Amino acid sequence: MLPFLKWGHVMRAILSVLGAAILYCAIGSSSLQAQERSAVRQGFVLPPQSGKTILVLRPSVRVAEQSTGGLAEPRAEWTDQARAHIGAALVELQRQLGNTVIAAPEAYGEDARTVAEHLALFGAVSDAVVQYQFFVGNRLPTKKRDNKAGQFDWSLGPDVAKLPGAEQADYALFLHTDDQFGSTGRKMLQIVGAIAGVGFTSGVHKGSAGLVDLKTGDLLWLNADFQMGGDVREADGAMKRVRQLLEDFPGSAIPRDAPSAETPSGGKP
Amino acid sequence: MMPGLVRAILAVLVAALLSPAAMAHKLREQGVAVTIADSPLTVTPGRDWNRLDGNIGKRTENWTLDGGQLNDLTFFAGIEPGKPLVRERSKKREPLPRFGASTLLVEIPELFEATYRSAKQIADFRVTDVQPIRFLGQEGVMFAFEYVDGDELTRKGEAQAAIVGGRLYMISFDAPRLHYFARTVEDYRKIVASARLP
Repeated sequence: MLPFLKWGHVMRAILSVLGAAILYCAIGSSSLQAQERSAVRQGFVLPPQSGKTILVLRPSVRVAEQSTGGLAEPRAEWTDQARAHIGAALVELQRQLGNTVIAAPEAYGEDARTVAEHLALFGAVSDAVVQYQFFVGNRLPTKKRDNKAGQFDWSLGPDVAKLPGAEQADYALFLHTDDQFGSTGRKMLQIVGAIAGVGFTSGVHKGSAGLVDLKTGDLLWLNADFQMGGDVREADGAMKRVRQLLEDFPGSAIPRDAPSAETPSGGKP
Repeated sequence: MMPGLVRAILAVLVAALLSPAAMAHKLREQGVAVTIADSPLTVTPGRDWNRLDGNIGKRTENWTLDGGQLNDLTFFAGIEPGKPLVRERSKKREPLPRFGASTLLVEIPELFEATYRSAKQIADFRVTDVQPIRFLGQEGVMFAFEYVDGDELTRKGEAQAAIVGGRLYMISFDAPRLHYFARTVEDYRKIVASARLP
């Protein structure tokens, strides 16, 4: 077969074909990984001092250690530290949101369960938006038409009107963070994997901030990312995280965070 | 030597060319009958759905409207005796319960619960209702359930199952209890009502 080809020609042909294939895969995967970080519902605007009131809910914060096998093992002391630091950072930054802000009242019993369930739902909706809308190459066929028309149509449902404090506000601000810090074993696995050419991630640093219409439950604005910066177990890191989460908030005066070298493992600078 | 090399090159090229398309989620159009997981099972959706890329088992398919977190429709299309409902991560360390030749219809909710508890590593799962029904023209079982997943969100679900020719056919649906379950459960029931075996 193919007697006119010499071995050198064959090798060159193989290398060029493989090179083309690798390039094609690289282009394909980069288009799949092209990622957006924030979106606004079509037609929604919130100018500064608009007369609207924003209900700020207590952030949902989870911090865990990632085992060598990749499982999340909750760490209560880290979660407590992060909750305190993120709460303090939010109190400081919410003054710059550009509109009237009220803190959600302390909730007890059934009210507390309703708040917790809505925060968990917000986390799931944010994850779905990042996975199926912000990752452009992973969009769902039924939503592609909406995406082409610039629609951002996601909701928590009208039960948000039952949240404590909802009757005194127009919108609710939800914050959700989920961090897993790689254990020593996981970091070692990452290094060994890198040498062997197998990709193991160490650490998860997800965060999302969203503004929700308190009458309809519609998501009006979302800023979310699966790889955020800021070590939430420390005051400076938590401030950096909250600043990143609120940096595109409509009508706010919060400046973009200055880049810094300090990042948690696996997070963005 | 040469034919082997040519085949290898072609295989690399085909894989590279097909991979982005193969990775995409597929549209399942309203009113168009489709077969599930290369099995004899067909359904005709009453609205457009997305079939998610990848599967959790050889004889399964996952459909969604907004993402698996928010509405998860799963088809189990002819699970053979001796097999688990979904693929095992590790047969040795994390074995899953198996559908067996002697498994009875009334034991299906228990099998489903044990599979969810192990595969999703969840502690909080309750079967809230079990009813005899007709499914795929046979005696079947419907059951409702509620569970809390690792993301601390309470989800409600419903499933209908029948054993046909010794194999298990089941369609399940679950979604967050808040807003999402009630919004889509009727669309799921329409798919169940459209399910056919030759």
